[in-house]
Amino acid sequence: MASFVPTDADTLEDQRLYTQARLTEVACLDCLARVGVKKNSEHHTSVQWNAEARAHCPDLARRSGGRDVHPACPRMLASIEAAARDGQIPIGAEDGY
Amino acid sequence: MSDTRFLDQGTPPARFARGWHCLGLAETFRDGKPHAVHAFGTKLVVWADSQGEIQVLDGYCRHMGGDLTQGEVKGDQVACPFHDWRWGGDGKCKQIPYARRVPLRARTQRYPVAIRNDQVLVWHDVEGSAPDHDILPPQLPGLAEGEYTDWVWESEHIEGSHCRELIDNVVDMAHFYYVHFAFPTSFRNVFEGHVATQFMESKGRPDKTGGYGDAELFLKSEATYYGPSYMINWLDTDYKGFNTEVVLFNCHVPTGPDSFLLQYGIVVKKPQGMDDKTANFIAQKYAEMFGSGFLQDVHIWKNKVPVQNPLLCEEDGPVYQLRRWYEQFYVDVDDIAPEMTDRFEFEVDTTKANEFWQDEVAENLRKKAEEDGDPHGPDGDGADAGSPQVMTGT
Ligand code: FES
Ligand SMILES: [Fe+2]
Repeated sequence: MASFVPTDADTLEDQRLYTQARLTEVACLDCLARVGVKKNSEHHTSVQWNAEARAHCPDLARRSGGRDVHPACPRMLASIEAAARDGQIPIGAEDGY
Repeated sequence: MSDTRFLDQGTPPARFARGWHCLGLAETFRDGKPHAVHAFGTKLVVWADSQGEIQVLDGYCRHMGGDLTQGEVKGDQVACPFHDWRWGGDGKCKQIPYARRVPLRARTQRYPVAIRNDQVLVWHDVEGSAPDHDILPPQLPGLAEGEYTDWVWESEHIEGSHCRELIDNVVDMAHFYYVHFAFPTSFRNVFEGHVATQFMESKGRPDKTGGYGDAELFLKSEATYYGPSYMINWLDTDYKGFNTEVVLFNCHVPTGPDSFLLQYGIVVKKPQGMDDKTANFIAQKYAEMFGSGFLQDVHIWKNKVPVQNPLLCEEDGPVYQLRRWYEQFYVDVDDIAPEMTDRFEFEVDTTKANEFWQDEVAENLRKKAEEDGDPHGPDGDGADAGSPQVMTGT
């Protein structure tokens, strides 16, 4: 049951565009984690994890649950940068998403 | 079909969020009197029992609806001003001074309490679950040990806006420039589980005063929501080479479908060798600045409409993902979808925005210098050393 209910069907399509569209799967070069990545520009990165990927990442598993949960896993970051350099991740947004 | 875009204002949720909500500093409730706090569409009564433990019940007596907040504390209980029924912190009526016995069904709504960071937090869940102590916000290390200044604590009732407007600030990079007069030079979000964080590095705008504008102020801000309503904002400020560690607590409790009580408190880490009076003065200054920055947000909220379908550009933060995270507190626990709590990381590209903004600021300064009749252009002055500006996560 949704709580903030959209009154227009197009809103659901917007939700899909902004949260799911154009995600490219990137596999970590060091562990079995696979995440969804979007790059609207060179400096922008959006990384979507799921429970399975999270469970694979040894770096994130070491975090205490305090303020140290926030930094990205450096290995995944390097894997994403490598994928972007190799042209595996399309760079550039499509009408803002 | 028309190409015109429509605003979907949606309908606000029919419930209040599940989670821990802060009612204020515990000390304010320890004066031997019952206190009223409007929350969750009703009024709560808050008092301290004889052990100093804070108790919270629904404010209206289950006998004939008397207002317990106008009653008295008698021993461990709150006594109703109408017929003196005595209610304990466990929600049970303990005594009716004129009656043979207390009806077995004399139980009222109680709110489980936890004390964190000197504050009273209550658990709210329309499903009536037991309080989840595992997701309480963290205790600030050093606070109980006296390493911080006294509290500066403020509250403000906001009418006509759903509290999600406040939450949206977590991802709203550009409003810091336009509403709060600062350049966010780096901006990143991480959401996971019940926690949502914004990291920002910024400096003030030299062409503006007021708000958070001050070219001499650099800061690193880490602002984290622990659950739907309780944010801790760690602010490392550098003002003309003077470093201060400010911690802002920003919390709210919904009072109705489109109103909420916002409260914020500030403590400052006492710098080595500084006397308490000076340190408290600095905390007061930061609180005033945060207060004025906050009013800038309030003004926007009061005049805007709710938007279910924001239209974003490439430089905007992850509004839809933040709201997806926030949704977890408004559905039954069984209906929490994995994507609401899955880890999500977002790095905002601030490079282009900052190029445009630097140009705009330079132009503003040039115009200002022209108006002032200064042929040498702006001198970069205008910052008042006595009032550093603070840039916060909201
Ligand atoms: S209404 Fe409270 S004692 Fe009667
Ligand atoms: Fe703001």
